[in-house]
Amino acid sequence: MTESEISQPNYLQVKKGLFSWIFTLDHKRIGLLYLYSVGAFFLVGVALGVLMRLELLNPGRDIIEAQTYNQVFTLHGVIMIFLFIIPSIPAVFGNFFLPIMLGTDDVAFPKLNLMSWWLYVVGALFALSTLVFGDGPADTGWTFYAPYSVKTGTNVSLSVLAAFILGFSSILTGLNFIVTIHRLRAPGMGFNDMPLFSWALYATSWIQLLATPIIGITLLMIVAERILGIGLFDPSIGGDPILYQHLFWIYSHPAVYIMALPAMGIVSEIIPTFAQRTIFGYKAIAYSSMAIAFVGYFVWGHHMFTSGMSGPAAYIFSILTFFVAIPTSIKVFNWLATLYKGSINIQVPLLFAVGFIFNFLIGGLTGLVNGALAADVHLHDTYFVVGHFHYVMFGGTGFAFFGALHYWYPKMWGKMYNRTVANLAFAILFIGFNMLYFPMFILGIMGMPRRYYDYLPEFHTFNQISTYGSWILVTGLLLMVYNLIKGYFSKPVSEPNPWNGITLEWQTKSPPPLHNFDKAPELVKGGPYNYPNAING
Amino acid sequence: MSNHNKTDHHKDDELHITSYSEHFGTWVSLILLTFMTVFISVYGADLNTLTVATALFIASVKALVVAYYFMHLKYDPRIYRVMLLVVMALFVVFLIMLIFDYLTR
Repeated sequence: MTESEISQPNYLQVKKGLFSWIFTLDHKRIGLLYLYSVGAFFLVGVALGVLMRLELLNPGRDIIEAQTYNQVFTLHGVIMIFLFIIPSIPAVFGNFFLPIMLGTDDVAFPKLNLMSWWLYVVGALFALSTLVFGDGPADTGWTFYAPYSVKTGTNVSLSVLAAFILGFSSILTGLNFIVTIHRLRAPGMGFNDMPLFSWALYATSWIQLLATPIIGITLLMIVAERILGIGLFDPSIGGDPILYQHLFWIYSHPAVYIMALPAMGIVSEIIPTFAQRTIFGYKAIAYSSMAIAFVGYFVWGHHMFTSGMSGPAAYIFSILTFFVAIPTSIKVFNWLATLYKGSINIQVPLLFAVGFIFNFLIGGLTGLVNGALAADVHLHDTYFVVGHFHYVMFGGTGFAFFGALHYWYPKMWGKMYNRTVANLAFAILFIGFNMLYFPMFILGIMGMPRRYYDYLPEFHTFNQISTYGSWILVTGLLLMVYNLIKGYFSKPVSEPNPWNGITLEWQTKSPPPLHNFDKAPELVKGGPYNYPNAING
Repeated sequence: MSNHNKTDHHKDDELHITSYSEHFGTWVSLILLTFMTVFISVYGADLNTLTVATALFIASVKALVVAYYFMHLKYDPRIYRVMLLVVMALFVVFLIMLIFDYLTR
């Protein structure tokens, strides 16, 4: 064994004990810290969502009061957006796999990386503290729209401070990834030799870095308005509530791409592996990530068509919104072209990737409906928007997250879950998801407004179907979680590369050693997806 | 494992020792620009809507001075200056689109 081939213990064996985890500088352990954190908050968010669906099973009050319902949907939104979806794929799989995929031993700033996780924990504690202080959690919705957020007696200040701190965590992660990608790529790896997940993280990181400070300042302005009564957003003291909406969505629309782009990166990894062939249109997919990030900055106004924004501004934002669909559809066509004539191996990660495409297409196309000015006047603030948003975020990013978990599971822990049970869990989840959210499109078109704990009798049937769907979805989720946990306690697998992947993470041991590689990894000639036996016709 | 990418590094990984006069000159220019901001906000009320634009312009100049001299951007490859320019252009576009809504209501 040469000096460059020293066998190291894997990252799970290096040190034991709680402190070796919560103060670790190893990017893989930090990725797992994020996984356990966001996973726990995801389950809390799911529980709150199910509670809302139970309340909506029948018209009128069933189990919770109107005010409690308002607080529940706000907490559900804050937890799912700020504590789950935004950090989910970048912080978990980005942290774990970006350095390995680039052929290096860690991110550029390991201590900053650990600090990001601690900021996440502190932000989460702030969010949870709203449960026990004052008049309880905020009741404004996760958007904290002024002037109501300035006037309500609930814990808005603590909630927005939580979002502010979580924003810093996000910024530091983005900064770390940008520097890592620029400075720590393996020798010989140009930008166009990087795996597409790295490209997706690169585009995402720029949004995290540039857009998040805007929401940070805006949320502090809310606190200043509440405490000092400055008159920024409250019209009764000379403020402009539409200014708040502008500032909020300047961040929060690009934030949708913080959530979606890494998911697209995951799909771009899974599909060539399970088609065993070169990805179709590597550069088109890579550059479309940057295009989505760029164009995504200029479409925030489509959330405000009915808010009192000017007509000419609305036309411009509507047109720009349609432009975002172009790079997104470029990706979808390239994924499908990759599958065409590929040696398709149908395993559960691929099912989640294909599920992503199906759900994301519905979510994306209904987004175009909302982006059309005339249609939006009818659909704004109805259940159509709730359906659209959940198809994109849960059906898209959520499914990609689960797909990544199943794809990289043997790499992260050196174990394997029961594949039959995983397939069954996917099927239940997929059916439950569509049964839960598709009726919302119909309810929205019928005119049912969002964010009410009660509704008219004509909306009853579709609300019932939706609630039954939530039970099926939760069954699938619990089965999936049980299967993954059970897999963790199974025997180690002998095969370190069960999917025959060729990107660099599959060149190292499973689980990877502390410094990722026992010997310097070799780049695949002809690009990261140049499968040796592929039929690239 | 030190497998950093050699093609994309800081120009030559050298220490850049700048003179005291350059540091001092930068510091003085920042102080002067700060005084200018305060002066305009207190006494420049007749600038009306240009007050905000002027304050933003001065703040941008200050940020550039810090980035170029204190943060050594002037020693870095051109790509980092391009990145900064793109970010500033993005910010300007945000402002234009925001103000466009106000002017056309």
